Amino acid sequence: MKRPFANASSGLSATDPRVKLLDTRMKKENFRPDALIEILHAAQNAYGYLPMPVLQHISNKLHIPPARVFSTVTFYHFFSLKSRGDHTCLVCTGTACYVKGAQQLLDAVEQSFGIKAGEVSADNKLGLQVARCIGACGLAPAVVIDEEVQAKTDGHQLVAIIHEKLEAL
Amino acid sequence: MPIITVYINGQKILTESGVTILEVCKANNIPMLTLCHLKGLHDIGACRLCLVEIEGVNRLLSGCTTQVADNMIIRTDTDRIKRYQRITVELFFAERNHVCAVCVANGNCELQQAGYAVGLDHIRYPFLYPECNVDTSHPWFVMDHNRCIMCTRCVRVCTQVEGAGNWGVMNRGHDVRIISDFNTPWGESITCTDCGKCVHACPTGAIWPKAVAQGQLTKYPEMIGELVEKRKLLQ
Repeated sequence: MKRPFANASSGLSATDPRVKLLDTRMKKENFRPDALIEILHAAQNAYGYLPMPVLQHISNKLHIPPARVFSTVTFYHFFSLKSRGDHTCLVCTGTACYVKGAQQLLDAVEQSFGIKAGEVSADNKLGLQVARCIGACGLAPAVVIDEEVQAKTDGHQLVAIIHEKLEAL
Repeated sequence: MPIITVYINGQKILTESGVTILEVCKANNIPMLTLCHLKGLHDIGACRLCLVEIEGVNRLLSGCTTQVADNMIIRTDTDRIKRYQRITVELFFAERNHVCAVCVANGNCELQQAGYAVGLDHIRYPFLYPECNVDTSHPWFVMDHNRCIMCTRCVRVCTQVEGAGNWGVMNRGHDVRIISDFNTPWGESITCTDCGKCVHACPTGAIWPKAVAQGQLTKYPEMIGELVEKRKLLQ
């Protein structure tokens, strides 16, 4: 059986500005294996998610086994292996928001945009997520659209705000 | 190392300081159940079978990760510990799809032995029946996630002894799974050296060689500890 014991090629283009940014960041950290989380943060910010070739690239450069990189990525909810969309809509389904009608908000978004929680629309414009509690129970039902908290919304309002955001780009 | 006194189950024992409760028990023939412990690997206290009661400490501590201290009063045989051990073993069986009758490790399995040790005759918890893969992509070995108890002995032996780091753990909670590389088939691993140490380290029938039939699996987990001792001589 043939095994490439040397590092597998990540297949990333060296001229990609995001790869350059990532390489600079790793160099700044002196390629320390314990800087893995910082590097993953930088990669997630640059790409919006963590594509497999990027993980392979980080594994090669920091000399961390691929399994360990994957463990770290799947452990923290901050990291995502799939694209979360250009715009994100995060509906809080914590106890207070749930009581105040978070489910209606979710239903409204799901029906208007044809996506379910955890999915991204076909054109990659909008991603819908749910969170257990975002710690803004006084604003229930709370929704976070592109890192902006929308307090005490209802279904119609929310759909209108999302349309506004999508058209703004 | 200074010599200290500890009391285990009322028995006065003189021991070196800096060793774990489990090591003291082993040296003095005091029985202690373990699953995730394997000599030669770093202990992580994951299986919670080696729980001990220590006077002055409210919660139960794992014997494999707790070091002895002078005049420590330890109990390993109380009803409370026995009750918890039984619950733990029952939860192990309920968590994945363990069917001893069709398992290669039947009769040679540490989980099965732990079941006998705690007097397991039935399981009081609902079975989760998770959907688990069986990875047969490796030319010689099989990884059957149905029989895995997440002791991570394979992960530790691969990183700490072999140094390859093929195995890892992904996700959290119910969804935890042992992974090879980027959750890719074992046969396509770019890090595995095919050494087979994980096969011997695995306490159940989760990792086994393809050449064995039901109930025919023999493993030598002691080999790992011996290997670690021999490798120390090389340094």
